[in-house]
Amino acid sequence: MSTTLNRSRAAHRWRTVDLLTAAVLGVAFGVVFWGWGILYTSLTPLFAAVPFVQSILSGVWLLPAVVAALVVRRPGAALLAEMTAASVEALMGSHWSTGVLVSGAIQGIGVELAVALFAWRRFGPAVAVLAGVLAAVLEGVYELFAYYAGAWTLGFQVLYVACFAVSGALVAGLGGWALVRSLARTGALSAFPAGREHRG
Amino acid sequence: MPDLALRGLTVTTPAGRTLVRDVDLDVATGERVLLAGPSGAGKSTVLRALAGLLEEDVEARGDVRLDGREALAGEVGLLVQDPLDALVAETAGRDTAFGPENAGLDRPGTWRRVARAHAAARYPAGRDREVRTLSGGERQRLALAGTLAADPAVLLLDEPTSMLDAPTAAAVRAAVLDAAGRDRGLLVVDHDVAGWAPHVDRVVVLGAGGDVVHDGPAAAAGRSPTGTGDLWWPGVAAPTPLDVPAGLLTPALDPGGGDVLHGEGLGLVRTRRGLRPRPPATVLSGVDVALPTGALTPVTGDSGAGKSSLLALLAGLAAPTSGRLLAAPALAGRRGRRAPHTWTSRELAARAGWVPQFPEHTFVAATVRAEVAVTAIVLGRDTGRGEALLELLGLSGLADAHPFRLSGGEQRRLALAGALAAGPALVVADEPTVGQDRGTWAVVAGLLAAAVRDGAAVAVGTHDGPLLGALGPRAGTAVRLHRGVPAEVAA
Amino acid sequence: MPTTAAQRRGAGPGPVVRHCGPLPLLAVAVLCAAGAFAVRDWWQAAGALAVQALCLPLVVGDVRAAVRRLLPLALAALSVGWSTVLAGDSADPLWTALTAALRLVVLVLPGALLLGWLDAAEVGDHLAQRLRVPGRVVVAVVVALGRLDALVDSWDQVAAARRVRGLGPGRGPAGRVRWAASTSFGLLVDAVRGAGRVSLAMDARGFAGEGAGRRSWALPAPWRRADTVLLLAGTAVAAVPLLLRVGGAFLTSTS
Ligand SMILES: Nc1ncnc2c1ncn2[C@@H]1O[C@H](COP(=O)(O)OP(=O)(O)OP(=O)(O)O)[C@@H](O)[C@H]1O
Ligand SMILES: Nc1ncnc2c1ncn2[C@@H]1O[C@H](COP(=O)(O)OP(=O)(O)OP(=O)(O)O)[C@@H](O)[C@H]1O
Ligand SMILES: [Mg+2]
Ligand SMILES: [Mg+2]
Repeated sequence: MSTTLNRSRAAHRWRTVDLLTAAVLGVAFGVVFWGWGILYTSLTPLFAAVPFVQSILSGVWLLPAVVAALVVRRPGAALLAEMTAASVEALMGSHWSTGVLVSGAIQGIGVELAVALFAWRRFGPAVAVLAGVLAAVLEGVYELFAYYAGAWTLGFQVLYVACFAVSGALVAGLGGWALVRSLARTGALSAFPAGREHRG
Repeated sequence: MPDLALRGLTVTTPAGRTLVRDVDLDVATGERVLLAGPSGAGKSTVLRALAGLLEEDVEARGDVRLDGREALAGEVGLLVQDPLDALVAETAGRDTAFGPENAGLDRPGTWRRVARAHAAARYPAGRDREVRTLSGGERQRLALAGTLAADPAVLLLDEPTSMLDAPTAAAVRAAVLDAAGRDRGLLVVDHDVAGWAPHVDRVVVLGAGGDVVHDGPAAAAGRSPTGTGDLWWPGVAAPTPLDVPAGLLTPALDPGGGDVLHGEGLGLVRTRRGLRPRPPATVLSGVDVALPTGALTPVTGDSGAGKSSLLALLAGLAAPTSGRLLAAPALAGRRGRRAPHTWTSRELAARAGWVPQFPEHTFVAATVRAEVAVTAIVLGRDTGRGEALLELLGLSGLADAHPFRLSGGEQRRLALAGALAAGPALVVADEPTVGQDRGTWAVVAGLLAAAVRDGAAVAVGTHDGPLLGALGPRAGTAVRLHRGVPAEVAA
Repeated sequence: MPTTAAQRRGAGPGPVVRHCGPLPLLAVAVLCAAGAFAVRDWWQAAGALAVQALCLPLVVGDVRAAVRRLLPLALAALSVGWSTVLAGDSADPLWTALTAALRLVVLVLPGALLLGWLDAAEVGDHLAQRLRVPGRVVVAVVVALGRLDALVDSWDQVAAARRVRGLGPGRGPAGRVRWAASTSFGLLVDAVRGAGRVSLAMDARGFAGEGAGRRSWALPAPWRRADTVLLLAGTAVAAVPLLLRVGGAFLTSTS
């Protein structure tokens, strides 16, 4: 009589590691953003003359959602991670307080849409880029209306969203995908399919 | 309550390495069993398999039965090695309530269970205490209470006392034995066979090949069963430190004679950042320390006394908030800087090696080989020493493994190799012998002795009495801390 | 049974709002943010801000901490105002910019102060018991948030280890960016591995079990009178911009 003894893995049920990894990724990115705070604020004055392209930096805020989606590969993982990261910011006192929670939801949903288009089957760089772009466009539009009161001219608004989308594609999409690959190479993702695919 | 039976456990990695081979193990109700074995033998792997919590990328065959049936969730309670990973809530009461909450107990029942678990684990502080403010020993007991509150039939513990000073370790051990009582099974993994032998019914020993080499009562004092000489049996004296070839650890920068590092009136105030900033805490004050060339300086004290904090200062990882800490003039950095925390990263790396207390957080490379070579490569020094150190520490077989995959004891030895490989003149080691068997212990002790002999200044924070005994004759002036101040001041 | 977080807060000194539970705190913060969307003119924003300022003593306990929380808001308002001056197309760019900046303050201020009273575990208890959010998800997020301090410590450890191994920040901005990136990566690795270890410990205490569906909660999530009062008062404050706008429209149409 001999059975395998590994942790049980049901196909659609969220395991505890799935839940916790998504949430902890959110918190860890919260800490990373906090660690970068000084770096980021020191860059802001650079954009004083051209604030409408500042969104070129904003792709980093989408990373938790993209990374969680690529690692956990379950419906809702991106939303969970991004909402958790937003909660960290809200609790620590961010620029936008409750607004950051709404942003978290919007960004998470953007990424969820992209992976849903491929029925949670494909998680390559192309899907990651699409996820970054969708999340960036949704978030960019929301920011223009929520924070900038829609007071900019249309041209500048388009420019803002376009910069956001480029950043979402490069930083969140490709960057997130590369990040997951490096994480997998460390063996930290051994509990996930991503960890086995990128191995070695 | 049921008996636990493991039959034919074999665990293989994807690379085809067999970690554990055909292990049978029984724990009857009320029985107390110690699982021992050399570092890397596969003890932690067996515990995870028993709890049904093995990682997914290893292949495990075998069969676990609880009274002839499959165990339900929570029936086999595993207490993981680091209590910080075992604690899931912010306050003590809420943490212990986690198990009962999962079982769906009603509120009064939950809190009765919590009270009972706290009493059984001899957890001394209150229910409303924040987990983060507890000392190491208190945390360990709270983690035990949390496991008990889930009311497991069998209790599995992985090195529950390895980081504690002797009195606290004895207290936790007593709590464990008390809590297990005689109506559950108890299986403990520990290197300290001598400490547990009087209290357990059986000792099971895994050999280096991952198979059972001994299963029976603890041996008579002063003797070890055949083939298990690597273990710390009762009455077996500490081995003599390994004789390391002369010159292997000669510092790359000559510190000159005198003190490599000299500190007066050192104080450290730490502020905790985070969600809710806490008030600053004074963790050290008025500490004098001198680390002479070619001498070993022990740093001792109870859990939470400030050993690790002092060692971090000595290793240049934090700035003292009061007092002065200066290196020998021969070690001055650019613009004559002599305070270690003002050195650049490369300057620091060229002078100091640090073995952290929790090495698993601090690896910087993707393979064991690269981890040892990193510093030497950055500094343009010879990487041959690293290879020699891996060989001595029994890690060369694992050179291509990822550091995170190593067992607890292997990780600590790797951290030592990494710290020594670039030839530092100042070696700062925090609990370097935790989790080692007699064989690897002799190597670690031998390397520390060799660093001293070859002319480095070595500071060791430890509660390992035999280590200080074995390194005794060349010791510098010991620093003994009590709640952050020198013990003689505290007295 | 031990005290809930709201009871512990209530026992100490502080402004009235300390007696309130997390749900009305969150609700009012969100409502006030939504209310700001009604702002069209600078005087509407100014009026709303005046009402919010009147409520400050009910919300602010530690003035220094409050100022620290509001500092980023001040910067954000400046940046929004400035960018509107540059990118706006109205005839009156300065007034438009002022409106946008004030509106942002109206939007963010209540949340910035109210969210400071939240306790993650308490929010979890209330979300699960009052709003029926799935328990396993709530617990996972609360546990993850509880590890935040550990992760901050871990950042320090990772940074220290890299420094002593010779991989610390070099000189120049490029070296610093590279260092920040590699340290962040080390932190992420540590975080993911930590998540694995914690979920192991949680499963070992029965979190994975079939019974997780009928999970119980060790602490209650009461709704008290203070909560109703906060919700009503907060809704009124949130409605001020809308009232001003409607009132203003009424006045101009009658005159
Ligand atoms: N997932 C894995 N993949 C590859 N190797 C692994 C994995 N897990 C453990 N190992 C290896 O298996 C061996 C046994 O590890 P284990 O942690 O069980 O040892 P241990 O007896 O508990 O040692 P220690 O006393 O040092 O803690 C080690 O050499 C380790 O490197
Ligand atoms: N980052 C920190 N912020 C605030 N307090 C801290 C921090 N790190 C440690 N402490 C506190 O400082 C004291 C000394 O801790 P330290 O780790 O130096 O003790 P130790 O002697 O090494 O203990 P152990 O034997 O358990 O390793 C403890 O009370 C600890 O809680
Ligand atoms: Mg082990
Ligand atoms: Mg210590």
